[in-house]
Amino acid sequence: MSWRPVKAVVGREMSKLFRQRARLISAMVRPMIWLLVIGSGVGSMLQSQQQEGYLTFLVPGILAMTLLFAALLSALTLVYDKEFGVMRMMMIAPIAHYWIVLSKLIAATLTAMVQAILLLILLMLLGLVSIKIAISLLPAAVLTAICCAAIGGLIAVWSKSIDNFAVIMNFFIFPLFFLSGALYPVSQLPEFLRYVVLVNPFSYGVDLLKHAVPNVSTDFSIFTDIIVLVVFSTVAILLACWQFSRESVHEPLFHKAIVK
Amino acid sequence: MPSNLAIRTQGLTKQYGQAFAVEQLDLEIEAGQFYGLLGPNGAGKSTTIHMLTTMTSATLGDAWIDGQKITDDPVAIRRTVGLVFQDSALDRTMSIDENLQFAAALYNLSPEQANARIDELLTVFGLQDQRNKKLVTLSGGQRRAIDIARGVLHKPKVLFLDEPTIGLDLPNRRSIWRFVEKLRRDEGMTIFLTTHYLEEAVACDHVDFIQNGRLEQGGTPADLIQQLAETILEIDTDKPENIVNKLASLFGEPIREDQQLSFKIIANDVDFSALQKSLGDQISSMQWRRPNLNDVYLWRFCAPDTMGNEK
Repeated sequence: MSWRPVKAVVGREMSKLFRQRARLISAMVRPMIWLLVIGSGVGSMLQSQQQEGYLTFLVPGILAMTLLFAALLSALTLVYDKEFGVMRMMMIAPIAHYWIVLSKLIAATLTAMVQAILLLILLMLLGLVSIKIAISLLPAAVLTAICCAAIGGLIAVWSKSIDNFAVIMNFFIFPLFFLSGALYPVSQLPEFLRYVVLVNPFSYGVDLLKHAVPNVSTDFSIFTDIIVLVVFSTVAILLACWQFSRESVHEPLFHKAIVK
Repeated sequence: MPSNLAIRTQGLTKQYGQAFAVEQLDLEIEAGQFYGLLGPNGAGKSTTIHMLTTMTSATLGDAWIDGQKITDDPVAIRRTVGLVFQDSALDRTMSIDENLQFAAALYNLSPEQANARIDELLTVFGLQDQRNKKLVTLSGGQRRAIDIARGVLHKPKVLFLDEPTIGLDLPNRRSIWRFVEKLRRDEGMTIFLTTHYLEEAVACDHVDFIQNGRLEQGGTPADLIQQLAETILEIDTDKPENIVNKLASLFGEPIREDQQLSFKIIANDVDFSALQKSLGDQISSMQWRRPNLNDVYLWRFCAPDTMGNEK
């Protein structure tokens, strides 16, 4: 197996990312709005010392949000490519079909990391994080990005069309984000929601990022976070590859109606 | 499998539930042959192509491409074949160059190999000056040319063309057929074609017909045309029953399309001018001509005893 086809799929996604400047800018604007609006709104209910602490608390959550949106939306290009026919160009190429999924997930991880790095630079310029913290966030961000790409891959290989996009936003992205401890400590959630947070793999990414920021409380150990992220990502990627390699997934690409 | 066979199938079958998309297909196509598979919509042409290119698996039966069994190593089969899909598989947001470089990389061509091949193909289609144009700015014919260029970038031994000229105007169709002819001549490619434009299949070395998933043996276009009839007689009339009553005993049942009747005439000694006079004012017009491949198709799929199947 040569790496050239993988590089081609990844390169295509990266070139699209840098070409779509509006997408990059909006990827920076979204977390800044959350940080400033939620940070200031919730912060105004707190005393000044707690207010500063809440902004610091939000930094890993906002970074995680950027990783989640970027990786998931990038992984969903699998569905776009199916819908617009480009997937057939990849399917007829002499590569095993699971490599298409793996390439797309590598691209999704890189896309998320590019956006995360840009956000960290912005946060550094605003004085919200130091360069030391920014660098220490990067390894946790990589693991979280892989986990988010894996979630995106799972959703994408089971999605039949991009019409499902609103469903995906409402039923996957928002619940994953809100029930991850990104905006508030998990310990303050009602008990039944805490169980939901426990089964949400993204929570462990958020928690791992929190470990990189001093004075931010965490809910799990670093070891737990890493084990859950690695095991979940591996299983999710394998499942996505298996599903994508199944012929029934691609039948609509090649067959319309069979009438007899 | 004889070494000169590019494609061979044995009992190839694709079944969806109780429905057979393709049933017991037996094919032998020699290397370098220009083969046409013709049939109505939903007959099983595209399914056959998709099974032979490993895009979908057969329910039953076997197939070999260039001597390799398609189920043994699908990746190797995809290296051997090229497929031009019925609908474009290109990314409209990218340029010609980006699309073809992407496709070339998927086939593991080095940048040097890719550039040389892309130059060569774009020159043939006269698109070398538009290399950096976005696909969305091209005409339908130009986009189709790029689709075909994508399909042959890696110089496949067997090229599958699934309705390659559908929706194109005549000059674009002619340009594509010139290119296909060049591929056969210069690269010795075996070409497997499905098309609705039957006049295009006249260039094939051999054509077969498929209906309801079953193959009906064909032959060379010239032989099929010759075997069909000596002459096709077309009559426009507002009294079709009268004409049928009068001529069916002489020429057999015609194909009816609204008020037009088409008879196939086997004999070569019919005096058509006298016949026209004898029919007098019962007919609006009458013409007789040599049959073509369209007639072969019509008499296979729309003949009086098959009218229930296709129309």
